[in-house]
Amino acid sequence: MAVASRSIPASLVRSGADRRRALIDRLFRSLALLAAVICVIPLFLIVAYVVINGIGALNLDLLTKAPRALGVGGGAEAAILGSIQMVALASLMAIPAGILAAVYVSEFSHRRSATVIRFSADVLVGIPSILMGIFVFTFLVLPFHQYNAFAGSVALAFLMVPIIMRTTEEMLRLVPGDLREASFALGVPTWRTVLSVVLRTGLPGILTGVMLAVARAAGETAPLLFTALGSRLVNVGDWSKPMDALPIFVYTNARQPIAALNEQAWGAALLLLMFVLTINILVRARTWSVRSR
Amino acid sequence: MTTTTPKRLAALAFVAALAASACSSSGSTAAPTTAATAAATSAPTVAASTAPASAAASAAMTLPEPVSATITLQGAGATFPTPLYNSWFETYTAKYPQVLFNYQSIGSGGGVKAFTQQTVDFGASDAAMKDEEITALPSGTKVLHVPTALGAVVIIYNLDGVDKLQLDSQNVADLFLGNITKWNDPKIAANNPGVTLPDVAVNVAHRSDGSGTTNAFTTYLDTVSPDWHTKVGAGKEVQWPVGQGAAGNDGVAGAVKQIPGSVGYVELQYATQAKIASALIKNADGNYVPGSTDGVTAAAEAIAANFPADARQAPIINGAGPTTYPIASYTYLLLYQDQTDKNKGQDLVAFTTWALTDGQAMEAGLGYAPLPAPVQQQALDSLHTITSGGAPIWP
Repeated sequence: MAVASRSIPASLVRSGADRRRALIDRLFRSLALLAAVICVIPLFLIVAYVVINGIGALNLDLLTKAPRALGVGGGAEAAILGSIQMVALASLMAIPAGILAAVYVSEFSHRRSATVIRFSADVLVGIPSILMGIFVFTFLVLPFHQYNAFAGSVALAFLMVPIIMRTTEEMLRLVPGDLREASFALGVPTWRTVLSVVLRTGLPGILTGVMLAVARAAGETAPLLFTALGSRLVNVGDWSKPMDALPIFVYTNARQPIAALNEQAWGAALLLLMFVLTINILVRARTWSVRSR
Repeated sequence: MTTTTPKRLAALAFVAALAASACSSSGSTAAPTTAATAAATSAPTVAASTAPASAAASAAMTLPEPVSATITLQGAGATFPTPLYNSWFETYTAKYPQVLFNYQSIGSGGGVKAFTQQTVDFGASDAAMKDEEITALPSGTKVLHVPTALGAVVIIYNLDGVDKLQLDSQNVADLFLGNITKWNDPKIAANNPGVTLPDVAVNVAHRSDGSGTTNAFTTYLDTVSPDWHTKVGAGKEVQWPVGQGAAGNDGVAGAVKQIPGSVGYVELQYATQAKIASALIKNADGNYVPGSTDGVTAAAEAIAANFPADARQAPIINGAGPTTYPIASYTYLLLYQDQTDKNKGQDLVAFTTWALTDGQAMEAGLGYAPLPAPVQQQALDSLHTITSGGAPIWP
């Protein structure tokens, strides 16, 4: 409706030049609409394709059985448990670090150092994730001659920190200065103000950033290939040993000349997609509800 | 178990002789007598101490057994033997629950790299390590190549209405050089009397990633075509004159399946799995043969007598014999010649011995060609040279 009101009313169209303008206006608006549709199509295609191929493989075996050589009678238990563990540990490392860094930048730093830190974080977000894997590989895998789940978690944490830091900082900057000043005026110390006023006000936004970072980490293959490596054995809690993850499970099993393994790869891909979509939808729902309030 | 006993006995006699020579070089005076009695008495050291007592009378007991402690063996490398290796591991762990395996298929190149960086207990590669790769190993580290199976590279195609396609080596080279651009080219027609070839453009699909499959296939092209030799050459990765790249065997199979008129090359199993037609290739004897494990076994047997001492056999191209398939290659386990962890070494030797004997029976069912007897024998013998702290693990 809003768009329609912005078009040129028919009563104003008189000369040929006006008609041409109206035509061009319509042409470009439809081009923009087409571009928007093209942008959205891949998402629906991907979701539909993964659901069609994966739904048949999504069963209790996939969730609860350890991998088998030829697929039959096996599942993705090692990958599911591995993903949960590694993303959890990565979150434990990355969430406090990211939030504290954001608090420092927005509340305590000088303008120049804030610019430098912010810029570094932006660059870090853009670094290909496989480089994170190689970086962690050189100091957490190579010296010990052992692929290990801890290195995988660290690589994931490196990916998460800048995302969490940047979103948190954006949120903290949105907290009105009046609130801080009001807190100071009541004699509340700075640390208390940050904790109970600034962080508290920005909490919904911070949570959004954290969830997006978790979704990103859960879907990453590249940083894990050189670190956690992947595993056919169910590994619960042994951080010094290789561990599987859903993206690695999909990657390795999709490439095997064995139909049952290919199917399990589709099933695991669907699981991963469901997880990431759920998080994204939760985040959107939250921001919408915040906005509508 | 009983069926393989004669073979094992034969292996053992050879082994004893080898052990003797190994011992004498290290200055043991007991060596000469060991050679004579090893087959009858129990082998010394670890193997004897962990072997079940019930087997004491049988010669089979001298086959190494894993240690009783729970050990995980970490491996990584070639994609091609993954189903075979994982099946072996599953069977072996069912037999010896204390031995666990984790094999990750990261590609032959990755396997060599992980082995070099010593981040694994064993590596795996479809191509034997090159001289420069061996030189790049850390000082004091030596590699033992253990051949485990053979595979075939088949030429897959997508031509409506052509169920059987025959190609001689020149035509294969011309297709991949871009010299033949239409499927109804007279040169291809000459290989296929009575077949109506469609007027469809040739579309070449090849690997975009480094692979043992590419190494075997380009070695074939390099051998049969002087033109290919001067223009392209052989290797895990080459500069393809024509065509489009796809990642992995699955990628090439997918590309060929999707685009009519396509031709590509994949490991035999991927063609079978994706149900894509593959061409019959003219072999050295002038027969057109389909890619099959039998054809690969024939190729391997034809040259088995000349198997290199260090096991680094190049892909077998145009081997002699009426049923020989012309593009075959070995896949290898890469083991450290000296094991830093003696228990791991013991388990690795025990497992590899089993894989080379009982394990061979599982190969054909999974689409792999088992080792010819002389190669199997040599591989078993080579396991005796694996040491830990200077002493052989399986004397």
